[in-house]
Amino acid sequence: MSDSSAEQEAGAVIGIAFGNTTSSIAYTSADGKAELIANEEGDRQIPTVLSYLDSDEFHGGEAKAQLVRNASNTVAYFRDYLGKKYSEIDPTNSHHSAHPIDADGVVSFKVVEKSGEEPSNISIGEITTRHLKRLRDSAADFLGKEVTGAVVTVPTDFTEAQREALVAAAKGANLQILQTIHEPIAEALAYAAKENMQPEDRTILVVDIGGTRSDASVVSARSGMYTILATAHDYETGGVQLDQVLVDHFAQEFIKKHKSDPRENPRALAKLKLESETVKRTLSIAVTASIGVDSLADGFDFHSSINRLRYEIRAQKVFDDIMKLAEQAVQKAELDLVEIDEVILAGGSSHTPKIAQRFRALFPETTPIHAPFTDAAALNPSELAARGAALQAALISEFDVEDIDQSTHPAVTVAPHLSKSIGVVVVGADGSEEFRALLPAQTAVPARRVAAFAAPAEGGDVVVKIVEGVSEIRKTIIEKKEEAVNGEGEVEDESEEEEEEEEEEIKTKHMKVDKLLAEALLKGVEKGQKIEVTIQAAADTSLNIAARIVGTQQGVRGVIAAP
Amino acid sequence: MDSVKFDDALPVFSGEWPGENNFVFHAPITSPVNRKLEPLGPHFLAHARRKRHSRTFSEDDR
Ligand SMILES: Nc1ncnc2c1ncn2[C@@H]1O[C@H](COP(=O)(O)OP(=O)(O)OP(=O)(O)O)[C@@H](O)[C@H]1O
Ligand SMILES: [Mg+2]
Repeated sequence: MSDSSAEQEAGAVIGIAFGNTTSSIAYTSADGKAELIANEEGDRQIPTVLSYLDSDEFHGGEAKAQLVRNASNTVAYFRDYLGKKYSEIDPTNSHHSAHPIDADGVVSFKVVEKSGEEPSNISIGEITTRHLKRLRDSAADFLGKEVTGAVVTVPTDFTEAQREALVAAAKGANLQILQTIHEPIAEALAYAAKENMQPEDRTILVVDIGGTRSDASVVSARSGMYTILATAHDYETGGVQLDQVLVDHFAQEFIKKHKSDPRENPRALAKLKLESETVKRTLSIAVTASIGVDSLADGFDFHSSINRLRYEIRAQKVFDDIMKLAEQAVQKAELDLVEIDEVILAGGSSHTPKIAQRFRALFPETTPIHAPFTDAAALNPSELAARGAALQAALISEFDVEDIDQSTHPAVTVAPHLSKSIGVVVVGADGSEEFRALLPAQTAVPARRVAAFAAPAEGGDVVVKIVEGVSEIRKTIIEKKEEAVNGEGEVEDESEEEEEEEEEEIKTKHMKVDKLLAEALLKGVEKGQKIEVTIQAAADTSLNIAARIVGTQQGVRGVIAAP
Repeated sequence: MDSVKFDDALPVFSGEWPGENNFVFHAPITSPVNRKLEPLGPHFLAHARRKRHSRTFSEDDR
């Protein structure tokens, strides 16, 4: 890295989201804002597809279009094959494009690269190199600068072997990967940037619903640092399954009219898939969408339309599977749904209104659901990962490789996390003792928190009780108000249950005192004064406590020994 | 930055103070669990800087 500092100044660093279905590139502007980069075709969502025709290589949208006429020379859905042996991959998603083959254990694709010549075997590593090269070139074109490095997002279940294969493939594209980061954290970072990186404490559920897979992660954000508490993955649920719902629907209509199944003809199926995807996207913003394919099969044209409600009813199983995945992740984190402070819906399929609605219905009304349909200020779910990567790229652009390696080393990243919340006892509105958290559970140490409290109304000697607190889920039964929605069909699937149930159980989270750790006495506090309490958790998990009357010399200090 | 404000009042003390000192230690915290921080974002980078250079929060503030 010694001779590259001059080069680095002239060049740019970018963020790359590399998905099985789409990839996107982003950069951070001089004012610190992450922006998506459009490629030569004007796409910000660039299909992760390469296609070979007449000795030319096509990429992105142009390559995807060739899935109809040139499927066997079109390579798609390959990201998850990277760094795996042939025996380890599930090639299901490649059944309608160049099929992966086993070249001495290496996943490869047999395609005709040069017209008139024999087909060649392109390894998964080489395909990835070519894809990244195109992304790098698009970014360089757009920025008018050399791209010297990139931060790339990867799924949370990406193995070290996959990571190494990715770094090697990028190297082949003359692209240095500065760091690989986990998709859900990049997505959370994109939202944090919206709030100027305020170091808030939150437990976030990130659900990334892509094309070929869905991933849910429970992430604790404490003082702006992120820890993954649990993840769950579903490799059979995503946009592909939603497309298939429409393909099947339209195929049935076609069969009714023409007694022929367009799904049996590969070319007709490929066309129907592409058109169905367009219909699906339209239904995210409109309540009805039409489809028109000339000469779909057996020379018959196909024209039809579908409304959103009908689509949602047909897609219900896919939606159910997404909800199951999300609940599974929360369960694995040993949390209750009411302990999730916000939900980030990421990935292209999160544009789907019904998915956002289902999350809205699952969580208490006060839990923000960040998706376009439920939050007018939501960021584009398709852009989150690339934005997060671009933000991180800007943060580390001045670092040298050694710095980055050291910062990502377990010696730095592995830290004790508090098992229970630590805080102070206050007097609640009704005079009873209540818990106020300074350092919530899952905070990594070292950590420091300062809090200001009021003096008792009449003044006097004050006791600062440092305690551990735990959350308690309270259930209250409320009378269910009659909802006159049954006729509308909107809630068709749920209406049966609702009719039976007259009352509803509402869960809420409360913090209660669990264990007294220490007490500090402040004598003669006057009414109207403020008391400031500082808790510093040291690396050895001992706590330093300081309590003082603001604006005076009076204070108490003490140590809570490490367990 | 790492400060919060509560409107609530602290309790008044009455009775016999349990120690000689104005600070009494009762019990350590429940044992923490080692977990991995995700190495990204400005706050993690500040954490990494402190850890690598063995600096405290107050040294870092300066
Ligand atoms: N507006 C929209 N409404 C509904 N679905 C959409 C919309 N935009 C994109 N999608 C779908 O999102 C999916 C792609 O998701 P994303 O861009 O997150 O890809 P990805 O991360 O590469 O996916 P994966 O790795 O899971 O295959 C596609 O199935 C696409 O049809
Ligand atoms: Mg994805």
